[in-house]
Amino acid sequence: MARSARLTAQALAVALVVGLLALLVWRVARDSDKGVSQALADGERPTAPVFDLARLDGKGRIDLATLRGKKPIVLDFWASWCIPCIQESKRLEAAWKEYGDRVEFIGVDTKDFSGDARRWQRKHGITYPSVHDGSGNVLTKWGGLPIPKIFFVDRSGKVIGELEVEEDLPRYLQQIAAS
Amino acid sequence: MRFALVLVAALLVVPVAQASERHPTLSELEGEVMCPVCGTTLDQSNAPAALQIKRVIADRIAAGDTKSEIRNRLVAEYGEAILAAPRRKGFGLLAWWVPVIGIVGAAVIVGAGAWRWSRRRDGEPDGPSLDPALERRLDDELARWD
Repeated sequence: MARSARLTAQALAVALVVGLLALLVWRVARDSDKGVSQALADGERPTAPVFDLARLDGKGRIDLATLRGKKPIVLDFWASWCIPCIQESKRLEAAWKEYGDRVEFIGVDTKDFSGDARRWQRKHGITYPSVHDGSGNVLTKWGGLPIPKIFFVDRSGKVIGELEVEEDLPRYLQQIAAS
Repeated sequence: MRFALVLVAALLVVPVAQASERHPTLSELEGEVMCPVCGTTLDQSNAPAALQIKRVIADRIAAGDTKSEIRNRLVAEYGEAILAAPRRKGFGLLAWWVPVIGIVGAAVIVGAGAWRWSRRRDGEPDGPSLDPALERRLDDELARWD
């Protein structure tokens, strides 16, 4: 009896240690996933990480996976507390009016209050649709802070670039519109 | 006597906690809420995102929200990670109880081990008895040093 109790206790202890190790490995593996920004910097063209988030305007959700194979995408990570985001979003608004019929423009309001974000959009005249990523989990997959971060995804769902300088916007837009 | 002291302490603590729940202050919430872009609590940050949350908290306090309502609102917007400490309910309870269970378990294991070890030593004989001739000789040798 004492022997079986001891064996059970030992088995439990081993199971606990194995479980904790597995948790550690999982965590390390998850954290070592490089974001889209880093993959692009390494010369890769990663597949766009998908998300399914509620729209800021309350008109349902946007599921990025459903757009794959249908339309190229411009993805804009922004927040109402981000000062440089104002200028970038205004540039994208102008581009949306030109390319909106061929390219999907999606804003991702991240680490932000949705109420403040809606006010910010009205104030700056931003009308392309945005989703709310309050926790920043989606932003992390795409490369994390700082923002603004603007990515260009071709029709097949591959990320072909990230906006670095002003000239990138028309260049990447033409590239994905033709994809 | 001890029970009376515990009772008095509880009577003092409960109204303070209830007052904190009903009428939270900005400074206490600043220490319990994380800045989402800097990895510190709000009271240690002046980042624009932190200032935005401080303003919202101040607005909600002015509107008469309770501490729980404000915390729930923040969690709805930012997720559980916005709280500096996990909540004492649901999955968050694990973070509170696992360390306690671990410490108590370790103490029980160490205590049981120490108890078994001391019992074994008490019950052990003092060692093999000496041969009478050898014992006599040892006594003689020791007597020389008296």
